[in-house]
This record gives sequence, C-alpha cells and structure tokens, in this order.
Amino acid sequence: MNWKLPFDIPLITPTLGLPLEFFSILGIIVFVVHICFIYMLIGASTASVIYNIVGVFKKDSSYDKFAYRMTNYTTVSENMGALWGVAPLLVISVLFTGFFYTAILKISPHILHIIYGNIIAFLLSYAYKFSWHALHNHKGFHIAIGLSAVLSFFTLPFVFMSMTNLYMQPELFASVNNIWDIMFTPVTGFRLLNFFLTAFMATGVAMIFIGARWVKKGDEEIGKIAISQGKKWFLLATPLNIVVMPLLPFVFTARISESLMHTGFIYLPFIASLLLIITFLFVLNKFKEEIITPQSALRAIGLVLVSIFLMATTREGVRVVSFAEPLELQAEATSKFMTASIAEYKKYKEELANKPALDLSDPVTLAESKGCLACHSLNIKLVGPSYIEVANKERNKGVLIHSIQNGSTNKYDVIPMPAQDVSNEEAKILVDWILSLEDQNK
Amino acid sequence: MFDYPIFEMPFIGQRMLMAINAIIHVFVSHGGAVGGSIVLAAMAWWANKKNDMQAYNLTYKVVMVFFIISTSVGALTGVGMWIHANILSPNAIGGLIRVFFWKWFIEWIVFNFEVVLLLLLFMSWKKNQATAEGRAKTIRIGIYYAIASWLTMVIITAILAFMLTPNFDGQPWVDPEVYPGNVNYNNALFNPTWWPSLAFRTFTSISFAAALAIMWTWIIATFSKNEEDKEAKARLVKFLAGIMMITVPISAIFGYWYYTEIPAAALAMIPTAVMTRAFEDRFDLMYLMAIGVGGSIIVTTIIAYFSPKRMPYLAASLMVMGFLVLWGYEERVREFIRKPFLIYNYMYSNGIRTTDVPYLNKVGILEHAVFLDEDKKRVKEDKSNILEVGKSVFQIECRICHTKNGINGLKGLTAGWSHDAIRNRLNNLPGGGTPYMPPFVGTEMEKDALAAYLKSLNTKGAIK
Repeated sequence: MNWKLPFDIPLITPTLGLPLEFFSILGIIVFVVHICFIYMLIGASTASVIYNIVGVFKKDSSYDKFAYRMTNYTTVSENMGALWGVAPLLVISVLFTGFFYTAILKISPHILHIIYGNIIAFLLSYAYKFSWHALHNHKGFHIAIGLSAVLSFFTLPFVFMSMTNLYMQPELFASVNNIWDIMFTPVTGFRLLNFFLTAFMATGVAMIFIGARWVKKGDEEIGKIAISQGKKWFLLATPLNIVVMPLLPFVFTARISESLMHTGFIYLPFIASLLLIITFLFVLNKFKEEIITPQSALRAIGLVLVSIFLMATTREGVRVVSFAEPLELQAEATSKFMTASIAEYKKYKEELANKPALDLSDPVTLAESKGCLACHSLNIKLVGPSYIEVANKERNKGVLIHSIQNGSTNKYDVIPMPAQDVSNEEAKILVDWILSLEDQNK
Repeated sequence: MFDYPIFEMPFIGQRMLMAINAIIHVFVSHGGAVGGSIVLAAMAWWANKKNDMQAYNLTYKVVMVFFIISTSVGALTGVGMWIHANILSPNAIGGLIRVFFWKWFIEWIVFNFEVVLLLLLFMSWKKNQATAEGRAKTIRIGIYYAIASWLTMVIITAILAFMLTPNFDGQPWVDPEVYPGNVNYNNALFNPTWWPSLAFRTFTSISFAAALAIMWTWIIATFSKNEEDKEAKARLVKFLAGIMMITVPISAIFGYWYYTEIPAAALAMIPTAVMTRAFEDRFDLMYLMAIGVGGSIIVTTIIAYFSPKRMPYLAASLMVMGFLVLWGYEERVREFIRKPFLIYNYMYSNGIRTTDVPYLNKVGILEHAVFLDEDKKRVKEDKSNILEVGKSVFQIECRICHTKNGINGLKGLTAGWSHDAIRNRLNNLPGGGTPYMPPFVGTEMEKDALAAYLKSLNTKGAIK
C-alpha cells in the first residue's frame, strides 16, 4: 500500500501512564455528548422554522409559541455543541497528531468553513431568535432569516464529515488532494445520511419528552403539539436509519472494513438497529395517545441514547483497526529520522566546540561574521555594490561608518541598505579595509 | 513542516490568514469575554447596590450584546486559532499540544463553566430581576462567570508566554538530544513572561471592556425608545469610566513589567515589529503614535468620568478604536519579536526544529517531504526540473511568511536582483539587516534550485 504519512511529534505523549483504552472511552463519551447537542441543534433549528411556517398558515398562535420555545434549545445546543466538539478533537490531536493535521491540511482552506460558516450560522440564529417579537408583522422576512440560519448549519456537517472520513482512512492521504475528493464519496454520503436521520430521530424523542414536561406543568396545548409532532419526526426518520446503520461499517476502505469484521465492533450497529426497532414499536404503540408521561418518553430517549452510544463505539472501533498499521509505520519512520538527526546534531555541536575562535581584528573574518558578505562582494555587484565600487565612489570615512551603522538609500541602486549592528571600532576596521580596496586602474 | 501536505494561501499568505482570525479573537476574548465578564458583573452589582433599576435594566441590554458577540464570534474564533495553527504549522501546534495537553484539557473544563454560566446569566436575567434575591442570584452568577473567564486566560497566557520564553536559565523544558523528548512540564508552564503578561492582559482587558461597554451603553441608550434608558446612560458611563480611571494606569505599570522580562534578542525586533519593514528606521514615529493612541484613550476617559453627559458618541467610539489599535499592535509585536522562532530556540518560524538543521543540511529539506512528487524533490542531471524543485523548497521553507506575488511577496522583494545576488543572499538570511529570518536549510543544490525559482518569478515567460 502506498502510505504517505508525516512523522510523529518527537515529544513524549502526555498520557500520564494511562492506557490508550482510557482515552478511547473518554473520546467516545465526549463525542456522544457533542453529537447529541449537534443532533438537537440541527433538529431544533429546523423545527423552529417549520412550526413558525405552520403557525402562519394555520393562523394558530400555539404553533408560533412552540416554534419560539424551540429557539432556546437551539441557543443552548449550538453553544454546548461547539464547546463539546473541542474535547474529542483535543484528544485526537494529542494521540494521532499526524493523521488529524494531515487531514485538515488536505481539505484546506475549506475546513475554515467550520469556523466562519459557523459564526454566520450562530449570528443568523440569534437574529432569528431575538427579532421574533419585533418582526411579528413581517413573518416572511423573519422566516427567511430562520431558514438561512438552518441552511448555514446544514452546510457544516458536509465539511466536518469530509475531514473525519479522511482522517480515519490514512491510506487516502496519498490520493485525496482536496475536500471534493472526499466529500463526494459513498462513505461521506452514507454517513451524512445516517447523521441527518439520527438528528431528526433524536430531536423527535426529545420533543416528546419536552412536550410531556410541558403538559405536566400545565402548558397542555403546546405540550400536545410537541408530543404529536415529536412522534411523527421519530417515526418518519427511524425506519430508514434502522437499515442504514448496520451497513455503515462497510462503507470504509476494504482494508478497514475487512479488519473490522474480525472484531466485536461489527456487531454493535446491529444491536443499535435492534434497539431502534424496539423504540419504534414502543412509540408506534403510543401513536394514538395524545399525552405521554415523561417517564415513558425518557424510556424512549434512553434506548435512542444507547443506540447512539453503540454507533459512537463502532466509530471508535473503525479508528482502532484503521490506525494500527499506520501508527506502527509512523513510529518506525520517526524513530529512524530522529536517530539520524540527533547523531548529526551531536556531530555539529562537537565541531562547533572544537572550532578555533574567530580573529575579529581581521576585516574579512569580521565582515563575514557580521553578514556583510551576504549582500556585498569584493569585485562584483550582488544585492549591494561591490566594495571596490564603494571605495572608488566614496572616500569619506565618516559617511561610510554612518552608512554601515544607520543604513543608506539611493546611492548605488534602489535596494536600500538596512542599519547594521556594528560597533564604532568594528565599523572603523571595516571602513579602513574597504577604502584600501580602491581600484588603482580606474 | 516538510513532512506535511502543502497548502498555499494565495495572495494574502498564511500569516494574514491567521492574523485575521487572531485579531478578531483577541478583541472579542479580551474585551468581550474576560474583561467583559468582570465589567458586566461589576455593572450589575453597582446598579443593584444603588437600587438603580433603570441602570440595571440597561445593563441587561449591554449583556445581550456581549452575549451574542462572545458566544458566536469569540468562541468560534477561539477554536479557529487552533484550526488555523494546524494549517500554518502542524509541527508547532502538535508540539504545544504534547506539552500542554492537560492544561488545555483543564482549560476546556473551565470553558464549560464559562459558557454554562454565561448562558445562565443571560437566559435567567429577566426571570430573576423582579426580586432582590433574584438579582443577588444574577450577580452571583455574574461573578462566577467572571472568575471562569479569567481562569481561561490564565492558562492560555501560559502557553503564549511559553512560545516566547520557553526556558529558564539552566532549567530546560526538554533535552533536544533525547528521543522521544521528555518534557519538564513545570519548567514549561512557569516561564518568565507568564505572570507579567497575565497581569498586563487582565487589566488591559478590563479597561478595554469598560470602553466597549461605554460605547454600547451610548449606542443602546441613544437608539432606545425607552426614556429610562436615556436617563440611566450618564450614570452608567460615569461608573464605567471610573473603572477605566483605575485600570488604565495599572495596565501601563504591568505592561512595563512585561517589557522588562522580554529577552534582549527579542527586544531588538521591536522597531521592525512596530513600524513594519518599510518604516523600521523611523522608530521616532512610534512615539507620535503612542501619544496619539494613549492620549485619546486618556482624554476620552477623563471626559467620560467628569462629564459623562457631554461625552459625545464619537469620543466613545474613538476610545474603542484606540484600544483596537493598541491590542492589534500588542499582538503583532508579540508575534513578531519571537522571530525567527515559533517556539524560542526550539523551532523556527517555518516549523523546522533547530536541532534538525545539521541533518537536513546534509540530506536536503526535500528528502523527507513525503507529500511531494518524486520529480519535484531532486534536481535531475540536465537540470530540467530545477524550477519545480525550487518551488518545492519555497513552499516548504518560505511560504509561511512570504507569498509569491502578494503580501510580503518574493517577486517584489527580489525585483532587480541578479541570480548571483539571490544565491548569495540565501547564504546568510538572518544577516543583512533581517535578523528575524531563519537560516536557509537544505543542500547547496536545493539552494541553487530556490535561487533559480526566485529569479524566475521576475523573468517573463518562465514557469512559475
């Protein structure tokens, strides 16, 4: 296989002696929290716009109120989602530095969309939320703001998923050269389908729970809307997801899919699907009921959470089997490079220690040590004029010393001479030497 | 840097790409989050203590502005710093994460408190404002939010200071001759510029935030249809100006302390850092600028304090502008004086570790450039691919600071230079008046190739 991998960072990995499994589990937990907020963000922002529109067409203020309340969930989940997204990346970038950064570089500058696109989406979602009452009589405009916020949020998974799919399949580093090479592949498409389906499914059960709480608190009308809509969201999104999930481990490269088949991870998506089937039947069973207790809603949420957790664990399994070989290759290459580099560095330091001290009263040595010869030579023009040319043109010692110490412009050429860090005594040695070079045959 | 894929930002260059994100982040994080949290908590506390409900309600509107900007622009450009650093110099940020992983992890936990408290502060404000207990609760949340915000600054400042002063004398943070390098985490954390830069940043942030709050109080009150807001405006502005009267002089004192801790070699870069290359010999202009910016901040503060009603809206904006210039410059200078290093004495600006230089000079910088095509790595016998090889060297060693023909473009910098002049200049890049440049790393053949490539930038019809 044509592996193209960067070296590892030659510093000890600060694991505190904890086993890699600890970081795997930590990574799964923080990732699940992150992705749940993101599912909620995608779902809640979409729901808010949809029910805002429904409220306008049905002329029903309950839908409007429900849509407005959903913006609170958007605000919380966008902030917490972004924040909890940092933790998994931090863990990844300390353990698998080379792979993560290579993937980011390969899809640059488009990866920056997750910063700037996100800022725009945040600001639009705030504009939508905070202008709700002010724009009450301009619903068309208001909905347009909300819709653009939702569409901005929808663009982000495309970029982010491209990055993670590349990072998880290091064999593609040699062939993928920009974001489109990885975005328009079955693996990204399939995983995005799963992402959006899970987002709507998870928001559906969350809406049932939220509605159940509202009903309990006495907000019966809005609570009932949330419950009935939540059920519809869940029942519409789940069936396809049940089919998609067990197929996910097979969309990666043949090397990864094959080695995954020899591990227990391969069963997890099937179990996750099974849990969703149970949840589906559970919710379907309560389809006719207008009011659901928070307890039974929590049961559905629990089952969905476990299935999300199992999928996240499968994802970690993909990472583990995929990285085993390249990590080993990388460690080997890094060790070879560093051994050679350190040996050469030691040799260099030794040579430096054994080198005789420079005789700085010799003008040529002095000129070299001060870097003069980077721009000047004795007899040919380099960046600056040759010393013979200078000696022929300017005989005043004071002027020359001033030019060395303070720089000069427009005397020989348009390229200016910058001020140099040379003492008075050193400048005198240099000037005496330069003047002695005057060309007698001019 | 040679072992990662090459991404070249055309025209604006890598540095400007980072700078755009960094400057926005510094303005929002210092003015909006760290300083802002302290100032907002102080405003709420003061208005409540004086039982001034007009001022308390106006404070909520200022909180809303700070909430919107901090959580969107501030938080995301913060993550952006990291992503930009990945793009610019994966080796440098990768190294920093190896050294500071647990500190960053703690920082992330503190961030959680910060974000949750800010959400809580803003979203529960209206519900809490009716009763005295409720307001006391809001103020408590504000104080916790301020503490959490400041703690995030404590940690990130340590990392920034580390990049400038990674070493104590005789107390190295890593032995470069050992692989894998065993980091001394305490020496890395407790580096000499941590405390002074933290003290300086803290008080400047508070005064900057107070200036921002004055500006927003003005804007909100001016455009508000509510008469009460207009009445509360002068009182709040006077209180905020009072904060500035105290914190501006303290910032100056800590700024001087910070200045004294900067290593001599780095101090020598300040004229170029402040005045840019074109004006580096006109350092006298610096004093004029300092008087202009500092003076406008001091004068507007005094007006705001003694005569808040007469302070024009323009003066408030001028004050904020003054701070923006000051912070923009502080960041530019801090980034610049570290040159020619990214991590002082450990890694050059272009991501090459100082200890790798002897080896890379022997085998060539392109030898281990895994992501480059083989025919762009070694000059062929007939030299037919010399320009391609030169371009590869440019992409690896120069592109982090220079573009081809945009900002700091090498086409303009070498215009009119002969091939020999360029070749000779490469022999001594840190000399010749540019001490902020790292040396050329690589074989003589690679140097020839780079010189040929740079010459071709100004040759009509050559492949670029």
